Order: sequence, then C-alpha cells, then structure tokens
Amino acid sequence: MAETPILPAVIRGEAVAEPLIPFGGRGGELTFLAPDPRAIADRLPLSSPRLLADLHALRLDEILDFLEEAGKRLHLDRNPYLAEALEWSVHTAPTTRPILEGFYRTLPAMFQRERILTWIEHTLGREPLEGWVAHRIGPYSFEVRAYGSRAVHIVAGNGPTLGALTILRGAVTRSDTLIKVPSNDPFTTVAIARTLLEIDPRHPVVRHLAVAYWKGGDQAVEERLYRPACLDKICAWGGFASVKHVTRYLRPGLELIALDPKYSVGVVGPGCLADDDAIAEVARRIACDVAVGNQVGCANSRKVYVVDGVDEAALARLVRLGHAVYREMLALPETLSTRPKRYDPELAAHLEACRLLDGYYTVIGGEAGEGAVVVSHSPEAVDFADLLADRTVNLIPVERLEDFLAEVDQSTQTIGVWPPAWLEEVSHWGALAGGQRFVELGWHLQGPGLVGPQDGIEPVRRLVRWIVRERPSPEARPLWALDPDELKLLA
Amino acid sequence: MDRPRAQGEDQALERLARAWMEDPWGHFGHSATRAHSVDPAEAEAVQTLGVALRFAERRDRIPVLARLADAQGIRRIDRLDDAAPLLFQHTVYKSYPFSLLARGRFAELTRWLDRLTPVDLSAVAVADCATIDDWLGRLAASTPLDPAASSGSTGTLSLFPKTKEDYRIAVRGLRVQALQTFGREPGPGELSAKVHFLVPLFRGGHLSIGAFTRYNLEEFCGGDEAYLHTAFPGPVSADLMWLAARLRAAEARGDLAKLDVPEALRARLPELRALQEDMPRAQRAFVRQAAERLRGERVVAMGTTAMFHEVARAALAEGLERVFDPDSVVMGGGGAKGVELPADAEEVILRFTGARRLTSAYGMTELNTFSLLCEEGRYHFPPWLVVFLLDRDSGRPLPRRGEQTGRGAFFDLTNRGTWGGIVTGDRLTVSWEPCPCGRTTPHAARDIRRFSELEGGDDKITCAASPQAQAEALDFLSRL
Repeated sequence: MAETPILPAVIRGEAVAEPLIPFGGRGGELTFLAPDPRAIADRLPLSSPRLLADLHALRLDEILDFLEEAGKRLHLDRNPYLAEALEWSVHTAPTTRPILEGFYRTLPAMFQRERILTWIEHTLGREPLEGWVAHRIGPYSFEVRAYGSRAVHIVAGNGPTLGALTILRGAVTRSDTLIKVPSNDPFTTVAIARTLLEIDPRHPVVRHLAVAYWKGGDQAVEERLYRPACLDKICAWGGFASVKHVTRYLRPGLELIALDPKYSVGVVGPGCLADDDAIAEVARRIACDVAVGNQVGCANSRKVYVVDGVDEAALARLVRLGHAVYREMLALPETLSTRPKRYDPELAAHLEACRLLDGYYTVIGGEAGEGAVVVSHSPEAVDFADLLADRTVNLIPVERLEDFLAEVDQSTQTIGVWPPAWLEEVSHWGALAGGQRFVELGWHLQGPGLVGPQDGIEPVRRLVRWIVRERPSPEARPLWALDPDELKLLA
Repeated sequence: MDRPRAQGEDQALERLARAWMEDPWGHFGHSATRAHSVDPAEAEAVQTLGVALRFAERRDRIPVLARLADAQGIRRIDRLDDAAPLLFQHTVYKSYPFSLLARGRFAELTRWLDRLTPVDLSAVAVADCATIDDWLGRLAASTPLDPAASSGSTGTLSLFPKTKEDYRIAVRGLRVQALQTFGREPGPGELSAKVHFLVPLFRGGHLSIGAFTRYNLEEFCGGDEAYLHTAFPGPVSADLMWLAARLRAAEARGDLAKLDVPEALRARLPELRALQEDMPRAQRAFVRQAAERLRGERVVAMGTTAMFHEVARAALAEGLERVFDPDSVVMGGGGAKGVELPADAEEVILRFTGARRLTSAYGMTELNTFSLLCEEGRYHFPPWLVVFLLDRDSGRPLPRRGEQTGRGAFFDLTNRGTWGGIVTGDRLTVSWEPCPCGRTTPHAARDIRRFSELEGGDDKITCAASPQAQAEALDFLSRL
C-alpha cells in the first residue's frame, strides 16, 4: 500500500490531526496515522456535567432536525469522507467490500426522524426526554425526567454502523458522547463525525461529540479519562476484550454498561424435514441466518439444533439438510454474503480433524475457505463451537426440546425458531434458560435492528440519568403535623 | 536430489536416517555439540528419506494417515514439502465427541485413539474402567503406550498416543542439551551422574506434566527417589484436571449445572478446590525448602519464569542468595500469560539460584524433541526434528531459507506412538542462517506465541462471542 491513511480525531467541533503517530501494522495489518492520544487526552472529556446545559436547552425536535440533516449528507455516493473511510475499512474490517458497502448505504435510513422517534418510544418513551413526567403513589406525587450523562463508548467494530448508532443514542439522550473507535473499524465513525462537523461545528450535538482512537488498555490515556471527574458511564461493547481494560477504573461515580458478546442459534422442530420441499425451506432460512454479513455479527446463527430424533433416518435427513444449507449459503447474493475475507486457520484445522475422524461428524464444504456445514452425528455440538464463524454452521440432532434448552445460556442472543407455531413455547422456556431474542428462523438478521432492549441490557435507558422531582400533594400531611402513632417512613 | 546417487551412497543415507529415527542421541554419542553440528544439506537429505521411510511404514498402520494421504492423493514423499499436507493438525488429538469422556465410554475412546497410532489397541479390555485415570493406566499397563492427556482452556482434554519410549527419548534430549556446553564433549557428570531434579508439580500421573516426572526420575536421578523433588507427593489426576477445565468453562458460561461430568468426579470438587487454593503457596514453599535443603548442590529445576521470579524476589529480600551449585540449570518459560515480568526477572532468578544461565525449552507433548535456547537466545531444533513453517493463511510451506515467520509445524523422526507430523497453533520466526552461537541447526526467535492469542488481541472489539473472549474470560477467572 503506497499511502498511509490519516485518521483525525474529531473533538467537540474540531478535526484534530496532530501530532500524528502510527498505529496498527502488526502481522501485515494496515498502518494508519492518528493524533497521539496522550497529547489530546485532556481535550477529550467534558470537564463538568453542568456543561451539558446547552444540549438540555434544545427541544428533542431540534435535535432530530439536526440528525435528519445529517442523514441527508450521509450518502456514500455524495460524501467524500464516507467514500474514503470505506476504502480504508476494507483493509481493517472482518468483512468484505460488498457487505461493508451495504452497511454504509443504510446510514441515511438510520438517521430518519420517524425511525428514531419510534425507537425512542420503545425504549425510554418520548415524554421523559421532553420534560418531567408526573406520577403518583398514594398521597405523594412525583415526576421523573431523563437527563443526559457523560459517557465513553468503547464500540465494536464488526459492524461499521455501531458508531452511528452510538452517536444517535448520545444525541437523543442529550449526553456527552466520547467514542473510542476499535482497530477493526477506526474510520467509519470519524467520517460520520466529520460530516456532522461540516453541518455546524457549534451545534450542541457536535460540541458534545468526541471521536478518537487509542489502543484499548493504554493506561497513560485511560487513567486520565476513566475518572468520575470526566465521565459518568463507560459503555463497553465486546465483553472481555474491552471490559478487561476498564474494570480497574470502576468506582462509585463511574458506572459500567457492559454489552456482553453474544452468539445466536436456531432450533427446528419435529417433522420439519419430511420431504425435499420442507428441507429446502428450512435450508434457505438457516443459510440466511448463518451467512448474511458473513457471520461476523452476534445475531448470526452458529449452531442449529434439529429436534427430530437421533436415529439413522434422522441423521440421513440432517445430512441432506446440511447439503442444502451449504448450497443455499453459497448462492446468496454478494451484497448479503461473500466468500469470507480470510478463513480462520484454527477453525479450518478443527474441520480437518472432523473430516479425518469420520463417523462422528459429516463435514460439507470448507476445503477452499468458502464456508462449511458440520453435521454432528451425536446429540452434541462440536467442542470448537466457540470458533464457528466465516460461514460455518454446526447442525446438531437432538431428541427433545429440553436437550436444546440445556445449551442456551446468558450468552445466547437470538434464537431462530421453526416452525413459527413453536415460537410461543420456545420463547418462554428459552427466556428462562437465558436467551434474549426470539425470531422466526430465517429472520435473525432482518428486523427492527438494535432499537429494542438490546440483549435485555437496555443501554439507552441506562445511558440517561433518571432524575426525580417531588412535590407534596394537598392531601399529604407533613411529618411535623403527624400524630406520633402515624409516623412511618416507607422505603 | 539433484544428481543420481550411487547405491552405496543410498545405503549410507538410509543407515543414517534409520539411526536418527531409532536412537538419535546414541548416534551422536549423546553429544549436544555433535547433534547440532551436522551439515544442513546433509541433514535435509537424511530428513527427507526419514520422512519417506516413516510414511511408507505407517501409512497402512495409522488409518487417519491413510485417509489424509488418500484425500491429498499423496503416495510417496520425494521432497520434504511433499509431507506438509500430511502433518496432523493438533486439533486431531481432541477430535472425539465430548460425550465419550463425559459418559465414560472408554471402549469407544480406545477405538478413536486406535485410529491415530501404529500401536494395536484392539485387544485392550477397558470395560471395567471407571475414570480417565483408570483408562489411561490400563492402556499404559497393557501396551507400549503411555498416553498423554493435557487439558485445554475450553474444557477439552487432548489425548496423545505417546509411548514409553517416546518419553525416554524426550527426557534424554532434555538432559543432553540442558547439561552440556556447546563446543565441549560431554563427560560422565553431564551424561550419567545423578543430579537433583526439581519440579514444582506432581510426581507422576497421566497428564504429561506429571508423566514427564516419572521419566525424568530415570534420566536425571538414576531412579533414585531421593534426587527427585516435587511440590506434591502424589500423581496428578487427569480426571481432576479435566474437572478443573470443565469448571472454568461452566463458570464462564454462567451455569454450573452445565458442568456435565460424571457424578463420581463431581464429588471430587472439594479436593480440587483445596488443591487450587493451596497450589501457589505450596509451590513457593517447595522452592524455598529445596533451596535450603539442597544448598550448594547441583540441581536441574524446571518451572515457569514467573513462579521462579516470585520465589527469588522474596528469598533475596531475606538474604538468600546463590543457593545452588553454579553448574545448576534453571529452565523457565511459559505460563506467564497476562503476567508482565519485570525486565530484570532473569537476573533476579540467577542471583537467587546461583546458576549461570536461565534456559528454556520449546517443546510439546506431541514431540519427542525439545529445542533449547542457545547462548544467543535462540531455540535450536535438533536435526531429526524437521521444521515446517507454514503460511499463516494458506498453510503452504514457506521456503527453508533466510528468516521466515509462520505457523510452526514439525515432523519428529523419532516418534513411535503416532505418525510424527504435527501442525501447532504457534507463531514462530525461524532462521536457516548460521547462528553466531556456532550451531548449524535452524533456530527460532524467543517470541513464540499462539495465533489464537495474537489474533483479536489487538484491540479488535466485536459484539459476537469469540473464542478469544471466552479464553480471556477463563484466564481471568482462573486468576481470581
């Protein structure tokens, strides 16, 4: 590569591109230049929560006006920042260009007013963002309102629009948003922030946005930022990879919102593989759940349990399903799925071992780094299930729903269910086992998006500070007027 | 080969290859200097023939090898790189379905293992084996195997068909290389005198860390139990270590009900907890006591650099210095994942022990041949350990010249219990250029790391559960 990209930091209405130092480059990875985080660290945080007053002086509609304007400018074909970021992201992202480009093209829709308003409605409700919401318990009345906070977001880089989602969440909650971009996607969020800056560098949403790269765990930077004087919340995606650097800084006054890493599975009920048509139907659905976006997301299916017996006939049906899934996966259009950028050699080694010790597994495909289906012959997943990625799925025969539920835990995000009529039962027992999102098989990657409770973590509700205001109602009597036997303090 | 060889030359080459396969240390007069002074071109010719001979003799005796060779369409080996596609992935040795272990289906496990070794296991009766230790013990008692178990971070147990002879070759090589000085022919002190052997672990067992001690007792201590010093008096239990791995995996998944081990093993949880709690203290106490008891003696001590460093620092603070004979050997390394050692760690250990040099061996259960650090800090591979460095992504062999970085893969000509070829998960940088130390053998840089540790480790954040996240969580839990 002839050119070394420059990744400016965008700090509160200003693009900062000095002093530049190199990052990355390990093991043939892309090298890029970014401002020395130690030199800019003190400019990143908001020194006082009171400085959020300007955002709180805006009505929600004014914030949405600004975001709507931003959405109009986030068209890949017309935005040179995005076009450049896409070129560089091809080198850092886990996915391939067609898939990345597909993500980039969803940006304008993410900023649409109606869409934002809808997800606000389903998380916080609009009212507490607009003003005080009155409630009453017994003779006491009180009001609740959502105030913004100062938060650092350690965002994930497997999907390039997670930075955009973070900017939206920060803006509508009137929060101060500091985004630490990851090394697998340093460019996209900076390009979006530069676009916002061009609209109006003095707009409160822009004044409360800082985006920068530093190496996660760089103590010289993080101990200056991760302090209650600078931040109220740390929102860490990716579980251990980011949380491990953060835990040492947690203390009263600094809250952790941990967006734990998740994986997703499918479950197919009895009698669903009765004939070729039925198998084709199930295969098409599994292929989408597994392969769309090249299986880099937490919502992608990695294992599919088929509750249809474990005898030889059942196994034969499962192998036929495996071949059909493999064919369907490879037939997906390239905007949805491509040959993986790089097939994990560790996973390839496991597949090779399964192929050699035949009798325990049937391995379909996977010899050219294109993706594979591993059919277990016994009712258990492969013991390298954690590695399943790059369009590789494990099909597992089980006898009862109970056998499937035993494999569900708190790291299980989406469970795709087939047939649809089974959703009711599976979602109840699956929720008790730890599952968080239940969909019809085939719909893992298609839905409202990350706009609901997000794995039950409710990050938007947790990003705001919930403030209570109380006034006595006319019928409430003060402590000093109560008889001694009426005195009681209810918690 | 560039020119046709005369028949006599061929026979001489085959004699050499057979010698390297059967008894390499004996062939070189148990001299580390001679073993590491072979002509590189000759070494490659002998290696090529050795691998070809092994392939011819084992192809039909190891079903998994036959299957791999058929799938690759490989019938013979004319050049070393022909063998690269035939090296077994290290994952092969844990490729049995988990339930075989969890349900104690040892007959089925035996059939699985039988497909990986030229040793015939078909007549071994295992119906009455109740535990993993029972089963491994039965195989060891009734066949040439002494199978080696090792527990992995994700709750799996790798099972490797090592023979007793494999172990003996391995510990011989350890002694020859650790005790000798390059450039000097060995004397009886190096070759056969009893030396005190210290290892802060167990005395025997079927986990390779314990099993090695049994063979080190023969090799270093002349079989004299008084010369073998271990932190724990008993053998390591494969069942218990598997339970430990299962427990960590279940804890990481947030549901201890998913432990999925036999009831009898679950009952040993308190024993495991007690052992885990006591371990760091017991190891420190052990090294301290040994330092006092063996003052001035020549010892060979094996452990992790981090553990030695901790003990040494505490001991130095109390004025304990240069406790052993200067000809003692301290072998550290490994085990320091996530623990940053100070720059002077080595110096601290040497001051405490009094040894002249801290060394380290690169090796693994799957190989009989340890490669030790030279005076220049490079791991040298003895000539019968054929080094294949594979491209990280394509798996194709990199050229055997200059300096190359890739996935380490090896063919150990001496392996008895299995095919001998293995692809590791390690990233190595190997040089075929002459080393300033004077050895002629290829050598690797000290910085050897697992690919799984390197990838994703560099600040790549993802919302999808990854093995990296899993492994790190486990690592974290095990330090709690």
